Amino acid sequence: MNLNNISVVITGGASGLGAGAAKLFIEKGANVTIFDRNLELAQTTATELGCAAVQCDVADETSVLAALAEAGKINGTPRILVNCAGIDITGRTATKGGPQPREALTQQIAVNLTGTFNICRLGADAIRELDDLEGEEQGVIVNVASIAGLDGPFGQTAYAATKAAVIGMTLPMARDLSAYGIRVVTIAPGVFNTPLAASVLRGEPDDYAGGVPFPKRAGKPAEFASMAVEICQNPMLNGEVIRLDGALRG
Amino acid sequence: MNVEGQVALITGGASGLGAGAARILSQAGAKCALLDRNLPLATELAEELGGMAVECDVSDGPAVEAAIAQVVEKLGAPRIVLNAAGIDIAVRTASAKGPHPLDEFERVIRVNLTGTFNVARVAAYGMIGLDALDDDGERGVVINIASVVAQDGPVGQAAYAASKAGVQGMTLPMARDLAPYGIRVMTIAPGMFETPLAAGIPQDWIDSIIPTVPFPKRWGNPLEFGALVQQICENTMLNGEMIRIDGAIRMGT
Repeated sequence: MNLNNISVVITGGASGLGAGAAKLFIEKGANVTIFDRNLELAQTTATELGCAAVQCDVADETSVLAALAEAGKINGTPRILVNCAGIDITGRTATKGGPQPREALTQQIAVNLTGTFNICRLGADAIRELDDLEGEEQGVIVNVASIAGLDGPFGQTAYAATKAAVIGMTLPMARDLSAYGIRVVTIAPGVFNTPLAASVLRGEPDDYAGGVPFPKRAGKPAEFASMAVEICQNPMLNGEVIRLDGALRG
Repeated sequence: MNVEGQVALITGGASGLGAGAARILSQAGAKCALLDRNLPLATELAEELGGMAVECDVSDGPAVEAAIAQVVEKLGAPRIVLNAAGIDIAVRTASAKGPHPLDEFERVIRVNLTGTFNVARVAAYGMIGLDALDDDGERGVVINIASVVAQDGPVGQAAYAASKAGVQGMTLPMARDLAPYGIRVMTIAPGMFETPLAAGIPQDWIDSIIPTVPFPKRWGNPLEFGALVQQICENTMLNGEMIRIDGAIRMGT
């Protein structure tokens, strides 16, 4: 899909991977709306990049419907969804200190998994209602998983479960939406230079990149953005999960 | 890496996926060296793109070394290698006609698997001697072509699937082998693309399979394959991974 003048929603767009994606989609001529729970940060980022910002809790149906409607008013109904909103609560399944709180899993499922599915189903339904674009394609969904969902690092049981589930949704969702000309592709990033990674690693992501074969550094949000843009522009990419990790196995 | 001004060595570059990638990389400013068994066809495209053509059987060790030496001399040392040379046969493991001929199996392995490894090892060795391009220490990228057949296993494809699964399996260890030198290794697994290789597929099978592609319900265009090749060259974080580009097809389902 040619991104020029296309309405794009990027969840978790106030910072990290989402903000990186917003910058590149704007450069490609897309009309971007950032969704984030943190409206203040979203507005700051949006002002800096020159796009729109809307408050949204992806796990909440009412909030997503309202945010999509608002994005539609500003930029037209979005045809591209880049779902970067996510949280990471680390902790081992059980330790001397006791079992991991059940909420570690339920909270992450709510945002990372249900939140991703929620915006996909509502966003895709809105694309389905639009007049057809010229050409074969009507929309693209880019979901964000993690190599944690494939490699299973310790302390990441709950996070890995939610991201493995996003990976698992990719192919059936691509098949579900293929009849409407909507593609679904998932990116599984490794260690990236983002606030989420910094908080999980309790330090600079670059300092934790020693195990990456090449390049020996954390990924840049601009590199994530480049992959997301290629996915949107290349109609043959569909139903696939792409690791973006410098060959790291966690 | 920025592909502009780089030398790209493309095996099987005279036609199909290799030619599609050559067109895209040339457009982006790369100098393309097309290695192919079909020299007249490779020469025709090389002249159009302003690159060079070399006759080469990828499975032949000394021939590949000689071909790469010619490329280095004429265009400079390649930092981009795309292994697009490949052959396909459709024979069942055993049928009423008899067992699968062993020499046919070995021929497919020799070209698709050994040939890919052969070019990768010689070209990567050449890159090791080059200066790094940037602060990351990047020196080059090797892109191999597998196939969705390696994962999906359609009937009659034991030899082809084995050779392409071999290419898939080499991806991560080769990326780890070459990481200390700043050379990345990626593999693309295409689905149904409109190429001369696919022209050998029986029409009734094609008629039955294209409708099973979820979206888009058509052949892939080699230029779409080429666009992914360019993304892989440009995106330094892509390493040790295989990407399916197939419109979400799963063969045999």
